[in-house]
Amino acid sequence: MNEGNKKKLNITVKSNTKDLFAFTKLVPNRMKRIERASSEPITKDPINDLARKLHPERQFLIIDAIKEETRSTKTYKLIPDPESETKKLSYFRPGQYLSLKVDVNGVRITRPYSIASSPTDVANGFYEITIKKEENGFLTNYLWKNWDIGTKIESSGPEGFFFFERLRDLKNIVGIAGGSGITPFRSIAKAIIEGKIDARLTLLYGSSEEDDIIFYDEFKEMEKNNPTKIKIIHVLSCEEVSLEGCEKGFITGEIIGKYCDVHASTFFICGPQVMYDFIEKELNKFNLPVKRVRREAFGEIKDILKYPGFPKELADKGFKLKVQIGGLSKEIPALATESVLVALERANLAPPSKCRSGECGFCRSLLVSGEVFINPISDWRRSADKKFNYFHPCASYPISNIEMKIPRDL
Amino acid sequence: MSNKKEQNLEDSYDVVVIGAGNGGLSATAFLAQKGLKVLMLEQHNLPGGVATSFVRGRFEFETSLHELASYGPETNKGNVRRMFEDRFKLDTEFVQVPEAYRLIVTDPNEKMDVTMPFGVENMIDAIEKEVPGSRESVKKFFDLAEEIGEAFNYIGSTGGKPDQGVLMKEYSNFLKTAAYSTQEVEDALGIPKKAQDILNGYWAYLGLPISRINFTIYCTMVQNYADLGGWIPTNRSHGFTTAFDKKIREYGGRIEYNTRVEKILVENGKITGVETVNGDKFKTNYVICNASPTLTYNKLIYPKSEVPEIAYKDVNARIHGLTGFVIYAGLDASAEELGLTEYGYFIMDSMNTEALYDSWTVLKPPKGLACVVLNNALPDCSPPGTCILDITTLYKSEPWENVKPEDYHDTKTKIAEELLINFEKATGTSIRDHIEEIEIATPATFARYTRHYKGIFYGYEPESWDSIVPRLMSMGKDVYIEGLEFAGGFNRRLHGYSSALGDGMISAQLTYAKIMKERDNA
Repeated sequence: MNEGNKKKLNITVKSNTKDLFAFTKLVPNRMKRIERASSEPITKDPINDLARKLHPERQFLIIDAIKEETRSTKTYKLIPDPESETKKLSYFRPGQYLSLKVDVNGVRITRPYSIASSPTDVANGFYEITIKKEENGFLTNYLWKNWDIGTKIESSGPEGFFFFERLRDLKNIVGIAGGSGITPFRSIAKAIIEGKIDARLTLLYGSSEEDDIIFYDEFKEMEKNNPTKIKIIHVLSCEEVSLEGCEKGFITGEIIGKYCDVHASTFFICGPQVMYDFIEKELNKFNLPVKRVRREAFGEIKDILKYPGFPKELADKGFKLKVQIGGLSKEIPALATESVLVALERANLAPPSKCRSGECGFCRSLLVSGEVFINPISDWRRSADKKFNYFHPCASYPISNIEMKIPRDL
Repeated sequence: MSNKKEQNLEDSYDVVVIGAGNGGLSATAFLAQKGLKVLMLEQHNLPGGVATSFVRGRFEFETSLHELASYGPETNKGNVRRMFEDRFKLDTEFVQVPEAYRLIVTDPNEKMDVTMPFGVENMIDAIEKEVPGSRESVKKFFDLAEEIGEAFNYIGSTGGKPDQGVLMKEYSNFLKTAAYSTQEVEDALGIPKKAQDILNGYWAYLGLPISRINFTIYCTMVQNYADLGGWIPTNRSHGFTTAFDKKIREYGGRIEYNTRVEKILVENGKITGVETVNGDKFKTNYVICNASPTLTYNKLIYPKSEVPEIAYKDVNARIHGLTGFVIYAGLDASAEELGLTEYGYFIMDSMNTEALYDSWTVLKPPKGLACVVLNNALPDCSPPGTCILDITTLYKSEPWENVKPEDYHDTKTKIAEELLINFEKATGTSIRDHIEEIEIATPATFARYTRHYKGIFYGYEPESWDSIVPRLMSMGKDVYIEGLEFAGGFNRRLHGYSSALGDGMISAQLTYAKIMKERDNA
């Protein structure tokens, strides 16, 4: 800036006197306005209230009814626990899940379960979740023995990104479900029928046995009453099939091509991890844009040994985790083949967690020293977190002794 | 849980900083660097407040930053760059955005489409080209802005108690404009209407109509951008906030995330401690609060009888500012393929900023947008053949207050859709067919993550009576509880990244000085 020029500038807004007077009055005027203001405290914040209704930090629920869907599947109807602060359930987008917190014999763990009921039923005061008993399932064994009508359950708010987004998705939805992966599609189908989602659903549903098909009658009924909106094709992998009109084997590209307008559809996939690996290859044949294939987070990787990059020689190895959580420091054992989160839960030191798939970032923790293996398919960390050694324990496996700082549950 | 109590913290600290937003981070880093025993508590599980990022699919979105003013090139460092590089040696990297802004005005009667370069002289030239004969008056705008910037530095250096004689002698133009709106001074300078409209492009970053926004703060912001350029971090805002996190720990400071303060304990007008929802109890005589005075006085101070009447009056006298609405879109075509040539677009129905502001007070698609195509500054911020587009607009919180949870998604989706259409029309591009990931943030989203009162992120409105000048000159007089300082966008430097970061430094310096004085006396 030219010094000479600057000196020449001499601004007058109203008049020299008025301008200077206005300046001298600034602070006194402000003080006057403050002195004259109300001294009433502010007690309301409707925007934070809305945020908490949409995203409650926790919901306290109680089992109101249990329905046996198949020999290994039950639907739990959950309502607000009348003795708790949860008066109303949080509204959700069909396809979202609840992360349940369960004390299993003194070990507190979380599990994500898709909401199977319609969002309209929130107004009727309930959610439904449908759970399939897993062989040797740590949690489901416990649930089958202990969950009954009246059992209290703590849950997260509705979570996850597996929902129809009309600004992005095509109105032809093709659902590909395996096993209990059908649960979010029940919610989506109901919302379509109720006019909450303007789309059509073609559901390719893979089951291993006829007896394992969940919601068979319900979907049949929905299809019958809404033939232009809902279509379901059962795909059975067992040898003997008595069901009419179903496909045998797995959900292959051929089957997908037979029932769907592949290039005019958005695919939603939900099922066990093995199904993803299979479907991925089948869908690749169509060379679809990334945006046309939505995947639900598949939960914890159970067989990390199978994945390339994992140091297989560590399969039987155990390591020590030195954990700082709030004011507590503790050393705990961990296995290389189990996620850091599982080791933490076993020691009752778990940080908050929801998706257990590396996606939501809720368990984000600081790796102070040591090394973890993170499978690239479940590495959803922010770039700076990678740089500064923050990691998601639910999707990380210890491959040395490690020292970490984890957040407490709020 | 049986062992949750074992996790509780009980300790004493020289200073407890509440909130890890920009103001909290710089304050904590300063105090930790000075060797004080300092603890920063943050209710979210990340640092930054709105200065963060999030991942969806193949994209990592920048949450709120469009560009940092006050960063500047190596050869002309701004305050923020001096803080990051020279003072704290943060492990960060920034790049300059290519142009100041492209301003598109869509009203047929005012139609305009101009792209402004960085550099004061370049900007003056560009405006002269659009509005022949504007050069002299526009140049005065920037000259004035420079003098006013120097006056701010002077006032800051006196701790808010400037010598009136010095002000009269050295900064008379500052004195004479300090009480006026941008409109009043631009008119007084004789800037032609169309040149005003171009100069007013950045108005939405302060969020008040030109007729109400105080001139001194507006012109210094424009001058800062023009002179230093706009800069962004290569790893999104989460890059520098996490670098702060690391540095604070290196300095020996302690950070606890997922830890929400429930009570700031006060006895006989003095801070004595802090308690958290988690069950922690901390002794301290000094708190730097990155939460707003509104939230602090109405919710955090304990017992309530310790909140002086004047504190409530102070909060109630101020005008609570804006919150926002952002569409984050990951697109499956490159910016080039889509014809998105600029980094920053301001798309305004007209340059009647009062009408635009009014459009933020009703639950309809607002008439002013600020859009960023991140790849045009950071080509590798998303995979090849994709790009990231953020469309931001503002809202008063009121129109969102009566939205029912069951209508919330439809409401925001409809507004987002219209804004996307408006963006396409204004830029002549087609983007809706390319959406691979999309998130829509509303005032409720900002409330969810920051817990700010009503989700507000623009602090108190900086009309002349409550703009930076009277705020700076009231420094010290507005401390109603001994040991309590505020830091961040609601405080004396107003909102915005650079302001909040700078404000944290001032609050930390004031607190540090008090502690040192106490130690000297002891």
